[in-house]
Amino acid sequence: MSRVESFRLTLDGEDHTVPIGEGETLLVAALAAGIDAPHNCQEGRCGTCKSWLRNGEVTMETSRPLSPRNRERGLVLACQAIPSSSAEIWLDFDY
Amino acid sequence: MQIGTIDSIWRYPVKGMRGEEIPHTYTSFTGLMGDRIHGVIAADGTPGHPWHTGRDQEEFVLYKARYKAGEELLLPPNLDASYSEWEPGIDPIYPDADAFKVSVETDKGVIYDDIEDSAFIADLEKLTGRSLRIHTTQKGNFDARPVSIFSISAAAKLGEELGMDIDKRRFRANFYVEWEDQEDPFYENSLVGKTLKIGEWLEVIIVGRDPRCSMITLDPDTAEESPKLLQHLARNHAGDAGVFAAVLQRGRVSKGDRIILK
Repeated sequence: MSRVESFRLTLDGEDHTVPIGEGETLLVAALAAGIDAPHNCQEGRCGTCKSWLRNGEVTMETSRPLSPRNRERGLVLACQAIPSSSAEIWLDFDY
Repeated sequence: MQIGTIDSIWRYPVKGMRGEEIPHTYTSFTGLMGDRIHGVIAADGTPGHPWHTGRDQEEFVLYKARYKAGEELLLPPNLDASYSEWEPGIDPIYPDADAFKVSVETDKGVIYDDIEDSAFIADLEKLTGRSLRIHTTQKGNFDARPVSIFSISAAAKLGEELGMDIDKRRFRANFYVEWEDQEDPFYENSLVGKTLKIGEWLEVIIVGRDPRCSMITLDPDTAEESPKLLQHLARNHAGDAGVFAAVLQRGRVSKGDRIILK
């Protein structure tokens, strides 16, 4: 399986292409790329990095701040989300 | 030096549910009498924060809890005697446990006469798919500190920065305040480490800024989520809004009381 090497991120109405290393979370990759992605605790508690996974698949070690409504809507925690397939990822903070 | 005024006083009979504005309160080392007396604990919650709240069920913030005892729960019955008989003041006796019973009305208008009714938890479990139970204590279930303070000016400024109306109730504070200093809308941030006297008796020390979670994203009237508010706080205000206080001297507080910087 080829891994995801970059992903699309939407923030403040702008699209970015973000390189991502193996095992990195979407948030860590975004911050490394110099993007001011909303975040705070980075431990899956506060919910600040909730974002809409418009495409792709991720795994999360914890997802406690996501309500059932959030999950139905396709929200993830960027600080926990690690790509889990080769499907293209599109993460949208402007949901 | 007077630095502000109490705009309104709020307590939350059930942690996570809608709060109630009250005209005056007794605030002890464990916070406001009647604040967050009941909570709902989820078996699948984290060990450190097992509470079922709006983070798990957005509409939970619309549930209305009301003390059946009403005015009896505003001030301890022997408050005046507890101040006058002994130095430095004896902790007054709170009303008996039965006085803290609450009725609950859900967002759908279903009314439970007592939160302890098995039907309330049974229905909530059915609705949420969680294993739940009520936890009750007469001295409050707080996440972090017993007293929270948030200014009217901070709510207004955040609204201005975001271009949206920000209802102060999103921040679920105990004391909403008006600061004399109109230059700094987030004046409370400058008070960390300072001691304040509120009203005639209460003294608090501001122990820190209040780090926020997704609870503030929920509209207190609709439970609709506005993620931009929390995102904005994180990117522009270190994720904080309002301050926490610890109580140094217990006392009664009324709406309109002066806030003095000691």
